[in-house]
Amino acid sequence: MRLPSRLVLPLLALAAPILAATSWSFEDATLTIQGKGSGVGGGAKEKLSSSTLTSQPFALNGAESLKIVLTTTEGKSGKRPHQAFLTLHEQATGLEESFAFSVKDNGKAKLDLSQKDLPHQFLTSSQPIKASIVLASFGSSTPLNHHTFDLTIGSDSATPPSIPSPPERYTSKPEIHHIFRADPRSPPKVLSLFFTLAVLAALPVLLGAWLYLGGNIDHVGKAFGANPLAHGLFFGSILAMEGVFFLYYTTWNLFQTLPVAAVVGTVAFVSGSRALTEVQERRLAGER
Amino acid sequence: MRSLLLGLLLGLCSLVSALSAVGNKLLVIQEDESEKDNYSQFFKDLEARGFQISHRTPKDSSLSLFLHGVPAYSHLLLFPPKSKGLGPELTANVLVDFINQGSNVLLALSSDKSIPSAVSSLLLELDISLSPDRGSLVVDHFNYDTKSASDKHEVLLLPSPDSSRQDVKSYFGVQGLIAFPHSVGQVLGNASPFLASVLKAPATSYIYNPKDDSGDALEDPFATGTQINLVSAFQARNSARFTVFGSAEALQDTWFTASVQLPNGKSEKTSNQEFAKKVTGWTFKEQGVLKAGAIRHWLDEGAQKSTTDLTVLDVNPSIYRIKNDVHYSVELSEWQADHWAPFTPPAADNVQLEVSMLSPFHRLNLVPKQHTANATLYTSDFKLPDQHGIFNFYVEYRRPFLTNVEEKVTVTVRHFAHDEWPRSFAISGAWPWIGGIWVTIAGWVAFVALWLWCKPVEEKKVAGKR
Repeated sequence: MRLPSRLVLPLLALAAPILAATSWSFEDATLTIQGKGSGVGGGAKEKLSSSTLTSQPFALNGAESLKIVLTTTEGKSGKRPHQAFLTLHEQATGLEESFAFSVKDNGKAKLDLSQKDLPHQFLTSSQPIKASIVLASFGSSTPLNHHTFDLTIGSDSATPPSIPSPPERYTSKPEIHHIFRADPRSPPKVLSLFFTLAVLAALPVLLGAWLYLGGNIDHVGKAFGANPLAHGLFFGSILAMEGVFFLYYTTWNLFQTLPVAAVVGTVAFVSGSRALTEVQERRLAGER
Repeated sequence: MRSLLLGLLLGLCSLVSALSAVGNKLLVIQEDESEKDNYSQFFKDLEARGFQISHRTPKDSSLSLFLHGVPAYSHLLLFPPKSKGLGPELTANVLVDFINQGSNVLLALSSDKSIPSAVSSLLLELDISLSPDRGSLVVDHFNYDTKSASDKHEVLLLPSPDSSRQDVKSYFGVQGLIAFPHSVGQVLGNASPFLASVLKAPATSYIYNPKDDSGDALEDPFATGTQINLVSAFQARNSARFTVFGSAEALQDTWFTASVQLPNGKSEKTSNQEFAKKVTGWTFKEQGVLKAGAIRHWLDEGAQKSTTDLTVLDVNPSIYRIKNDVHYSVELSEWQADHWAPFTPPAADNVQLEVSMLSPFHRLNLVPKQHTANATLYTSDFKLPDQHGIFNFYVEYRRPFLTNVEEKVTVTVRHFAHDEWPRSFAISGAWPWIGGIWVTIAGWVAFVALWLWCKPVEEKKVAGKR
């Protein structure tokens, strides 16, 4: 049958872009997850499609291995592409790792994958891992990069993945705020006040006891009459010494305190011996 | 004499007009004199930015990177040679010395030409690995130029690189696509913090060797996807920079002006010229150079509390006491092509101050408080830890693509002096004891008076009592 040439040319023109726009794809794709014990042909088998995403993510557990068998096609016929990868994408870190299919001339391709082939980021991922099949080659055929299925990695309790310590990166480090030692604490003020009052109350009790036992200072006049200078200085120096101690407690340092204390002490020593002589005289006179 | 003066003046002028923060002498190593013309626009751009370019061939007997033991050039640009070696003056050792003395290197590679062993061993020292197969190149069947490589797909078209990390400044962003013909992919070691990726290959790319490829499918690629770097940067501890540029051809005039087309895309002009400017600008230290200016710290207590008048402050004392409140400030500037400008870190990043003795007691984010014409003032207020000793106020700012800033100020932190503690009467728990002392004093004085002046009690009263 001969077609008129004016019909053929437009037909060819229509066919040309179709020919040029052949695209890479795959068919007869099955995914098997095989346990260690189950023999050849065992395990769950699932069909993969080059146009849709499988509804359920597949789970790959510790001892299992994942096996994908498919036929790569360019246009309609099976053919071997230069690039036939299964690309895994970890969503949290953005890490991608590709695994090459081993492909025969007629496009029959297979890939085995188990947990030990995967970097540790995949093994510890909390989100499902996106798995894409990438088929591409030189020339003008449209390449295929299709998100085919999701993969969840079950943790292997027997041999947990060894996670290396993270490598050093220059970045800002977490802030550190020094934790100060706790300030020294005092007991409740009520308690302190109670015992302070109790201690202060001891003084009136002591003075009262002395008064009750007949304590008095009725000989002041007599003593000052006999030796006013000695008594005045001695008692004054006793008070002055307490004053020196008070000043040392509040404002003075040791070098201010010592000379004054020495002077007051000398006065107390000299005047004290005189004053006590007078006291002795009174005692000898039977007045004490 | 006049010519000498004129030369000096010209030298000064060129120093002023140079855009690099460190120097403007650039040595270009290219084997073939004729190849120079392929890169004329690239060199013209460099010269316009104030670089004094010396062209040499690796075989030149007078070639030396050092003069009197110091680098004779601030920057080195290495083009891939045709022959296998680079000669005795450009061994890996010499290049490492050159970097150790603070000079910068831009290394361009091409899959068309062999990679000299000096270069690959140098790259191994930096933890950058190349495919062991000579002539391996990066190919991507998804992002290639349909005009020039419709069959082989070895001219990659890449969008502007964006920083993968929020806390890293991006110095390499351009408008439009960058063409990368015949590029050599690099794989960076994971352990080194000195390495950074400038431009990554697309996710669907891979490295293969066109020579031993006999139509077979690729079984075991050297590297795939975004793990391949087309441009990678290394910055040493001394802030010397080393950049590996995966495709020397991308710097040629033809690719500066070429128009390219992605599959399913529309034709557009390459932005290689802009990208080359950014990469050389960073490598030769026109960008990303930091400088710390004045560092000030003072006691933020008592009379000095919340003043900033430097004339009344006792600035930078050598001694503090534990638990003192201290104010610290440091000025940071960034070189921007021809002047120092205030430095601002990326949004997710912070300049940090460590108060450390052996290990940090405080690590605080510094707050940018004030911008001057060419510096940002970073400040922090903190309380010194309750531990006496010799402390450092240490600002260590190391980030990818930025020169390192390390500023250390050493101060003595002393303990409380004996008269700086709270007085005993301020401590409620001490009140019974203080009361006890006062009672003792009063009792003692009363006892002395009683001892001195007591009159004997009358007998009858005592007798009556008995």
